[in-house]
Amino acid sequence: MERRDFLKISAVAGATAALEGCGNPDHQLIRFIPEEDLIPGIATWKPSVCTLCPAGCGLLVRVMQGEAEVVRDGRLGLLKMGLAKKLEGNPAHPINQGKLCPRGQAGLQVTYHPDRLKGPLARVGPRGSGQFREVSWDDAIKQLTSQLADLQASNQEGGLALITSPLRGQKRAIFEVFANHFKKSLFVESAFLGDSVIRAANAASFGHALPPTVDLGQSNYVLSFGADFVGTWNSPVAQSIGFGEMRKGRPGQRAKFVQFEQRISHTGASADEWVPVQPGMEGMLALGLAHVIMTEKLRPAAAAGHAGSLIEGWSQGLPDYAPERIATQTGLQAETIARIAREAAAHEPAVAIIGDAATAHTNGYFSALAVNALSALLGSVGKPGGILFSSAPAAKESGVSVEILASQINSGAAAAKVLLLYNANPVFSAPAAWGVRAALDKIPFIASFGSFLDETSALADLILPDHSPLESWHDDAPPSGSARTVMSVAPPAMHPLHNTRSTPDVLLDVAHQVGGALGKALPWKAYDEAIQASFAALYKEKGTKTAKDADEFWTKAQEQGGWWSAEPNPAPVSTGGAPSAAAKATAPQFDGDANEYPFHFLPFASQLFYDGSLAHLPWMQEAPDPLSTVMWGAWVEINPKTARKLSVQQGDLVEVASPHGKLKAPALINPGIAPDALAMPVGQGHENFTRYATGCGANPISILSPLTVEGANSFAWAATRVKLSVVGRGKLILFGGSLTEASPELEHR
Amino acid sequence: MSRPAFRLSHYFCVAITIGVAALGLAVLDKALSAQGTNAPPQETSGVFTPAHPTVYEALREFLGIRSKPVQPIAYTHKVHLGNGMQCTDCHVGVDQGPDARIPSVNFCMTCHQVIATNKPEIKKLAQYKARGEDIPWQRVYGFEPSAHVKFNHAPHIRAGVDCSVCHGDMRQQTVAERKVDHTMGFCINCHQQKNASVDCVTCHF
Repeated sequence: MERRDFLKISAVAGATAALEGCGNPDHQLIRFIPEEDLIPGIATWKPSVCTLCPAGCGLLVRVMQGEAEVVRDGRLGLLKMGLAKKLEGNPAHPINQGKLCPRGQAGLQVTYHPDRLKGPLARVGPRGSGQFREVSWDDAIKQLTSQLADLQASNQEGGLALITSPLRGQKRAIFEVFANHFKKSLFVESAFLGDSVIRAANAASFGHALPPTVDLGQSNYVLSFGADFVGTWNSPVAQSIGFGEMRKGRPGQRAKFVQFEQRISHTGASADEWVPVQPGMEGMLALGLAHVIMTEKLRPAAAAGHAGSLIEGWSQGLPDYAPERIATQTGLQAETIARIAREAAAHEPAVAIIGDAATAHTNGYFSALAVNALSALLGSVGKPGGILFSSAPAAKESGVSVEILASQINSGAAAAKVLLLYNANPVFSAPAAWGVRAALDKIPFIASFGSFLDETSALADLILPDHSPLESWHDDAPPSGSARTVMSVAPPAMHPLHNTRSTPDVLLDVAHQVGGALGKALPWKAYDEAIQASFAALYKEKGTKTAKDADEFWTKAQEQGGWWSAEPNPAPVSTGGAPSAAAKATAPQFDGDANEYPFHFLPFASQLFYDGSLAHLPWMQEAPDPLSTVMWGAWVEINPKTARKLSVQQGDLVEVASPHGKLKAPALINPGIAPDALAMPVGQGHENFTRYATGCGANPISILSPLTVEGANSFAWAATRVKLSVVGRGKLILFGGSLTEASPELEHR
Repeated sequence: MSRPAFRLSHYFCVAITIGVAALGLAVLDKALSAQGTNAPPQETSGVFTPAHPTVYEALREFLGIRSKPVQPIAYTHKVHLGNGMQCTDCHVGVDQGPDARIPSVNFCMTCHQVIATNKPEIKKLAQYKARGEDIPWQRVYGFEPSAHVKFNHAPHIRAGVDCSVCHGDMRQQTVAERKVDHTMGFCINCHQQKNASVDCVTCHF
């Protein structure tokens, strides 16, 4: 052996010796004793409820034994436990019938999110600095209790404010007890894409303050005024199923669907006829259609009943709305209006619905009343193939909006001492001009129950994180999506991963510690007791499951994921009395001078982030938008003609400025948008919302004007005017293709 | 003419080098298994890591070297089976799914709360329970992930294959040992004898 070869051997031997040190025992994790005995490798499917949007779809959660890295009593270790692996729709659930939308599928990532708050926190740095220290649950509850006890002792009016996401069921009932106990509390259910305009209009027209259940499956003609009903509006999964039945479920019969809007939506792209309409003119157009139907005697004016009597000039046949007279204002040709009206009248049952931007103009409430009257005239309200209303009673709203809360606190009219914040992010989802941030700074104590730090919860003094939805009890009564009465209930699908506590349970605990009337108003020890109590009366009702007693009923309801009536039982539509005054058409107001700000600015609900509350889910960030295929960011949609005129290329970074602010985003050329409009998805542009959403894209809400829908307590988020300038080259990531591949004759007008 | 001769000796030396290295590994393996450093659960760092923590681990897998597991408690199958217990009393679910349950310390303590509490190994058991920790049993059988073998117990039990065919006679073992080498030849042989499918995707998917 030569010296050289010996050296080689030594080198290999040395290297192996050096590697000996692997498997350092210091890196070994202890194993905790499992809390449940599961059979490895066997999946079970447990019912749950999707909470990511107000539709309230039923879930089945695939749970399997796995190992999770968890902290217990301050020690890091591995725990064998049942872990949720996949979410699917619950086939037994009447709303989604086994289907689930991509947002719902991504709900799994809420539970395993690396930036989830893992235990209670108390603020240490200045407010908004994001500096917190960990505290024990005992301390956290003691702190909240003492704040509320002081408030109770002071007996001050308007001392308590509550801002929550829209709530239902017993969870809402518990928050409501808190709101009612403290005098003149400000209870806000905050939602950027709220349905309060539609509910107010439905209450006036049909006597039900509920969003409609649209029976698309049996309809023969659908007129949709701006409602993105297969994307995000109302109950999108139920409506997508209905849409499929309408198109393919009846051999030899295919209903026609016409969409009126300014910017082609996910739903508009599926329409037989997509008709551009001037912003805010949807109500006028609906009355134009009604005019044709009445003057051509296709339906009598009286067919619309109470809903018709709400519109000024209805009984005279709406002479002011002859197609020739409204053609210029609506942007449609008179013949088109007349043709669509005749088609709709000839295809029973025909239904008209309104939603999204059409109800977010300043005259959105009037537009909704007009479309309701059209639907009533077509004769499909309360009937198969039309609009139905659930028999479940509507929750009584407080009538306080984020805008009212902020203005009352900022003006000194209310002096809230304690704010309870639950799953709402008003700092992100309200226009800057409302002064939400300034109002929150005036509240001495903010307690947040959310699972994540976001723009609003970062201002909290105390954070008491809730379980993730899969770790929580659920009860829910979705107001739309099914003609049956639906009461969802589900126990937790898995044990909690972190040191979190169910918010309703924390509130019950706090109420009992504060004591007095507050404690007495909430007699239950735990949230599930409250749910069980609310279900006790239901078992005698005729449902899909029969049980011999309340206990068996409770077990069966949990197994099935809820209780639903055996047959469809929509509520009868009330014709109501004569209104005090008929609604008069109003022109939409737009903020910003038309010369300085030439474009209408149309934010739209993102297919992926909904109203922005889902931007923290990486699956949603990386998924391409279904229409434009843009991923990882926000964009501004612009008509090709306008783009040519302003020399805007696809992907150029453009600055969009309104009288209330400006933002930058890359341009996307879209032939399906009006030449005088710019559109932008809502959801990106978070300043502080986990590692995946922070600093990604721009937030269109930040530049909106603070206008309100007349006649309804709601934000007119489609009423801002903007201007546009190119500032450079932007980053636009398209998964594939672009919207301009369509032939030029398909361009808007 | 001297060049080819030099080449030949060069290859010879490389062969010796590999041989010695393999021998070294085998020796090292014995030493390591004696120290009980067999596949501990490691804290995950959350950043990308290659399939093997070290080059050494990769080499071991490539050469098919597996260390002998060292169990934290000198459990004895012999005594438990001798007292009339059945395999499925503890290994629940072996006839239902891919894996059998390894009971948690809670399950052990249902009996050992009162039985043989003065024995040192049972005291160890009680200490785990008192600390709120489960017993960190080491894996005995199993396939390398790169083999892509998906073994499922249930169909084997249903086909009447006795536990001992793969696990040896547990009535004679204390802690479980790898008595049978689960090579592909071993599996195929039995599958052919019993007329079971030998399609690749029966096991590899």
